[in-house]
Amino acid sequence: MFWDDLDASEDLITIGYREVIERFNKDYEGQYKVTPITTNLEEYITKFNAMVGSNTTPDVFIMDPGPRLTDVVNNGVAKDITSILNNDKDWYNSFSAGIFERLTYDGKIYAVPTNFAAALVFYNTEMFANAGVAVPTTFTELIDACQKLQNAGYTPISCSAGTAWCLSMIAGYLCDRAGGPNNLTDVNAGKIAWTSESFVTAANKLVELSKYFQSTAAGDSNDQATAAFYNGEAAMLVQGSWAIGQINGANPDFEAKCGVFSFPAIEGGADPNRMIVKTDNLCMSATTKHEEACIALMKYFTDETAQKYTAEVGGKIPVTNITFDKAKAPAQLTYVMDILSKATGTLGFYNESLPSTEAGATFDDAMVDIFLGACTVEQGLQKVQDFFTQNIWK
Amino acid sequence: MAKGNRKKLKVSQVLILIFLIVLVVVYLAPLLWIIIVSLKTNSELTLDPFGIPKELHWENFKEAWEKAYLGVALRNSVIVCSATLVVSLLFGSMAAFAIGRMRWKFSGAMMTYFLVGMMIPVHCVLIPLYVQFSKIKMTDSLISIIIPYITFSLPITIYIMVGFFRSMPGELFEAACIDGCNIYRCFFTIALPLSKTGLFVTGLMTFVGNWNELLLALVFISDKMKKTLPVTLSYFAGPYKTNYVQMFAAILIAIAPNVIVYCIFSNQIVEGLTVGAVKG
Amino acid sequence: MPVPYIFEGSVSESVTGGINMNKIFSDKKAIIIFIAPAFILFTAILLLPIGLVIYYSLCDYDGMKTINFIGLGNYIKLFKQDDVMKIALKNSIFFMLFSAVTQQIIGLFIAILLTNIKKGRNFFKNVYYLPAVLSSAALGLLWSFIFNPRIGINNLLAKIGIQGPNWLMEIKGFIILPMWMIGFVATWQYVGQTMMLYMAQITGISPSLYEAAYIDGCGKTKAFWHITLPLIKPMVATSLSLTCIGSLKFFDLIFNMTTGGPSNRTQVLATHLYQQGFRYSKMGYASAIGMVLLGMCLITTFLVNRFIKVEEYEM
Repeated sequence: MFWDDLDASEDLITIGYREVIERFNKDYEGQYKVTPITTNLEEYITKFNAMVGSNTTPDVFIMDPGPRLTDVVNNGVAKDITSILNNDKDWYNSFSAGIFERLTYDGKIYAVPTNFAAALVFYNTEMFANAGVAVPTTFTELIDACQKLQNAGYTPISCSAGTAWCLSMIAGYLCDRAGGPNNLTDVNAGKIAWTSESFVTAANKLVELSKYFQSTAAGDSNDQATAAFYNGEAAMLVQGSWAIGQINGANPDFEAKCGVFSFPAIEGGADPNRMIVKTDNLCMSATTKHEEACIALMKYFTDETAQKYTAEVGGKIPVTNITFDKAKAPAQLTYVMDILSKATGTLGFYNESLPSTEAGATFDDAMVDIFLGACTVEQGLQKVQDFFTQNIWK
Repeated sequence: MAKGNRKKLKVSQVLILIFLIVLVVVYLAPLLWIIIVSLKTNSELTLDPFGIPKELHWENFKEAWEKAYLGVALRNSVIVCSATLVVSLLFGSMAAFAIGRMRWKFSGAMMTYFLVGMMIPVHCVLIPLYVQFSKIKMTDSLISIIIPYITFSLPITIYIMVGFFRSMPGELFEAACIDGCNIYRCFFTIALPLSKTGLFVTGLMTFVGNWNELLLALVFISDKMKKTLPVTLSYFAGPYKTNYVQMFAAILIAIAPNVIVYCIFSNQIVEGLTVGAVKG
Repeated sequence: MPVPYIFEGSVSESVTGGINMNKIFSDKKAIIIFIAPAFILFTAILLLPIGLVIYYSLCDYDGMKTINFIGLGNYIKLFKQDDVMKIALKNSIFFMLFSAVTQQIIGLFIAILLTNIKKGRNFFKNVYYLPAVLSSAALGLLWSFIFNPRIGINNLLAKIGIQGPNWLMEIKGFIILPMWMIGFVATWQYVGQTMMLYMAQITGISPSLYEAAYIDGCGKTKAFWHITLPLIKPMVATSLSLTCIGSLKFFDLIFNMTTGGPSNRTQVLATHLYQQGFRYSKMGYASAIGMVLLGMCLITTFLVNRFIKVEEYEM
């Protein structure tokens, strides 16, 4: 079950999925046949829950890491595949180290990743050169760069608050840069408050940075913000690496002047080399009658052909240790991989790392409110705090 | 009446006309914009949204049609809505006849019972319905959405048809009864043919409603070959990007049947609605 | 399509048909045959699930497997803790009142204008009614584009040097701009329906009534207040309940225009229900919202029919 129409989509990763399924169906003709069920992202969970509730869970399904996967695991909908992976060392070892971290509950693995993406800052090298700006490594430098870009007549940053998670991604980075990895675990466990210092710092920095967003940031959708960047209207874009395919697809000339850097550090904050990453994952239904076929299908998704495609065509980061042709892959992907190799740790998207989907949405909404100036930083964080006291930390 | 008065009338007529024409622009401009956008490219849309496209990109329609299986979806929509139409009209007017024309103690209570149905939002019953349908392995087929559609169409059908049957002169049925008609013939040969307008209007209202229904169809149908038009429409919005021009083309294809049917029958619709409304 | 609840009285025609007709028309077997198909379908597909929904609303149910009975917990939370519920209630009531007022007044206004012109009446009527037969979902998408800051109406305004507001993202005021915009679009789409109902009623008024009034020296305005308005009063009740219930249940358009954003500020009951139930998988909680929505629909219909007393006039 997938969240994008395999036939209609132009998304390169989706097309890759389709090819994998076609390959599988051809190889296993007469034995197994995969019938993909597609919905759009918006209704995926509606449909998925309806299917689970009526005991027609699809054999293999795609699932976001974080609270969604937690729900699925807690309800016993996904099958524990630890032993399968352990008995198939070759398969298990083909994956990059640490990739199962967020798919593991109580030492048991419940999903197989198919690709992953990291969030970074994309920038327009031409504009940076014209404005005499170097790649910033700290927040102060970033603000400084923004100011210089603005003085040179450019819009410094393109961001979408119309699509809440885009803004929340920046907020997530700021929270992590200010408070480090313990921030998230502690706040989820109820050990620290949302109104504590590191979050306040992060939110204040968000307000500071948001002054350099494009004027239509509040209403622009994700697509529009990305388009503003590749159409040369803005100098920087904080986005997931999945946008690479979109950027190069829409404006092929832009590949040459698109640079990438890791989200800057906050002075006096935490380790700046941690990256926000997100994997796409496949789970197997706990009630499947065709376990072998499911495993075989998962293997097809993670075999060399599929993973090479992921990197070279799809522009996403492969999950297995394969060597792909860097010349074929988009230039930006190489930069991303370079940055990733220096990364000291990873975290999930903030809104997907909180205990429930609703908690994530509450965080997103609070960030949008703060950005819009609908409330002060303290009020915004207090809202999240209230939600957590009422619903999470009971 | 004096001449001056007549002149004033003319001025006011002109003012009214101008106002009405402005209103027509407000109504038609957004719809025309759909056509313009659907013939552009995505980059043209972002750069010059309101301009006339330089080249007409008919391929948007072709691609939208092929990619989203709009042909299949169109066929499914027609099947589902027609089947719903026929059955809900038959069942609905039968019940309406019993409620509006026949004499029994609970006819009022029965009417209230059906009318409560109009206040139930479809979201409320979506999940229980889906669970029950899956238990009897009924999901993922056209019939699985036809049945709820019929049910959701019943209250409005009954409501309007009761009004129609009530407004019929009683002498008609008296005469028929004296001629030895039984109750079934009264219904099928007198009541039904005489309420053609009512049937037409209710039919149209339910048809349009079901034609546009999204949520139920979305949850109940998984098979690509069984999806209805509104469901396929939402597919142009992908997780990370949206193909706007094709979406507009698809919207246009989806609403075109409504517009065409409306244009052909508009006078009957409007007339029937009027009659039905006054009597209802 | 929303419809009012105005059911009063029973069959009132003369009963001169004699025993024969009475017998035929109170044939129990026939009544059962006529009612049964609709009754069974209706009960099985709508009323029984509603029973389930009432039960769910008293449970902690995540839509997948766990169901725990928690009594009135959902309702208490709904009214005591849920800030979004407050916004949704406020917006729903605003939206209902706004639609009721604008659609009645504008609908009646256009209807009167149209009955006063001779040429092109059908053309205008058809154009104004057209959006009502189109899909709200598609039109919602369309209007979200029109109000988009980059490609929409602001683009046109910019050409004449006006910086348009951020239509769907402004958050100032008790009722925020996006809600007004949603109200506007809804009126745009459905005012034709109200217009149609009123036109029907007005054209049904006998011209001789007006003639008599004019002879008595009545002006047009006076004739409107003393003849037209009282005579269309029954239609006001019908049309008002239609609009009110329709706008309480309104979903597609809002969902496609703003999805309840920014930060839940344009959430109405139906979208809140959808978000809680299907986005956050809180089916029990969503069912409680559904019950509130159902209750509001019932109360509104009751109030409308109570306060607009339908008096019978000979036409």
